[in-house]
Amino acid sequence: MITTGIVGFAFTLIFLGLIVYFTIADRKDTKIQLRVIPAINKLQRAIGLAVEAGSRLHISIGRGNLTGSESAAAFAGINILERLTRSTSTSDNPPVATTGDAALAVLMRDTLNTTYHDIGIDEQYDPTTGRLVGLTPFSYAAGTMSIIRDEKASAHIFLGHFGSEVALLTDAGERNGDLTLAGTDNLPAQAILYATAQEPLVGEEVYAGGAYLGADKMHLASLKAQDIIRWILAAVILGSIAAKIIGLDQLLLNILGASQ
Amino acid sequence: MNIKLKSTLSTAIAISFGFVVLLGYFFSVDASGSPTMLGVLRSFFLQGAVILAGVALLVGIVNLITVHFGKAQTGISGVDSFVLILSFTITLGISIFEIVFSHFNQGRSFQTTLWIFNNIQLPIEISLMALLVVSLTYAAARLLTRRLTLLSIVFVGVVLFLLFGTVPLVTSQLPALSSIRAWILRIPAMAGARGILLGVALGTIATGIRILTGNDRPYGG
Repeated sequence: MITTGIVGFAFTLIFLGLIVYFTIADRKDTKIQLRVIPAINKLQRAIGLAVEAGSRLHISIGRGNLTGSESAAAFAGINILERLTRSTSTSDNPPVATTGDAALAVLMRDTLNTTYHDIGIDEQYDPTTGRLVGLTPFSYAAGTMSIIRDEKASAHIFLGHFGSEVALLTDAGERNGDLTLAGTDNLPAQAILYATAQEPLVGEEVYAGGAYLGADKMHLASLKAQDIIRWILAAVILGSIAAKIIGLDQLLLNILGASQ
Repeated sequence: MNIKLKSTLSTAIAISFGFVVLLGYFFSVDASGSPTMLGVLRSFFLQGAVILAGVALLVGIVNLITVHFGKAQTGISGVDSFVLILSFTITLGISIFEIVFSHFNQGRSFQTTLWIFNNIQLPIEISLMALLVVSLTYAAARLLTRRLTLLSIVFVGVVLFLLFGTVPLVTSQLPALSSIRAWILRIPAMAGARGILLGVALGTIATGIRILTGNDRPYGG
């Protein structure tokens, strides 16, 4: 147990070290080439259209529990909410945000409030634009569906922890003829979103939105760090397969202090 | 100045508590298996977070009612909002009455509240779940017209094949189909799922580190 803790802590420290290194190393204004994510390109276009046409954007950060691991996807959604609020600050209709978790609703409203304060338009903040819509999966879906119908948003971004109920939300958005962009950390819901959302975000793309929407250096640095760690993990997996084939797996397990 | 001080203080509190919880996660027990001080602190802070989340629920309900009160007044989905407020008031009233009643009668009888849950909320949610089946079937059928790519074709093809492979009449006649289905689920589907989960895990760690270092501040600091 203590070995697992040390390994986990060391892994986190390496990750942190890589992020800090790339943040410092990329201080100069070097242009970083990011891989194209069609969903993010569509989102950028939707932001521009929303500002021009004075339409509204709707973002839903799901119903993940704040104290659970699923909160990370919701935090990625909150990050996108902040970017959207900044980008559409000149629009007549501020974005509307929904969630199915009470604690996340508080964080969401706090983010909206702070963002408006940062850009000097405190008067535009309306606490009712950050809404808790329902606490069970389907009451959350029912509440969000009524917002999709009533708020006349031109795009709906679903970014957070969802279950299968997300299909009802993307379906409601599509029936309105709006853009639906969605990503989640939940595997079955990802499969559903691949079929139902116009622009699905798969795997780590859920967490990369901030970097693509012009966040700071640390977001880009975290993308680079993820790439390096991913290659290391791929090498470890391939190495383990090779060790198993040539019969060195037991020796490695003995060295690592594990038993079969 | 006041705002700056407030944001610095909230960031400092979030970072310090976050690090203690993280360390408590990795080092919750010592070599003998006894809980460490970090582990105890982590549990204590998480219990505090759960209590705060409970308080946030009250704030959220007030927000929900405020939004629907506004809607009922302006007339946008006014009937829906009116029904919501009315249902909420009736349920809350009955729940409070039952809590008070059970307190004074030394018993725990929440029969009416349970009846509301079992006979109103549950059937409505199950109906929505049934609707989901129609919604998903329609989405799968539309996928190829909306996004005709190789991946979409593979996706729909595999879904149909796996569904076909669950029909007992078919699998009894073609046992090889059942083996292929099991192979798809065990090897390519599992490998893909693990690949996606690795990406999600890395994204989760990166998000956590950005919050722990105060770069992302979802608490509005």
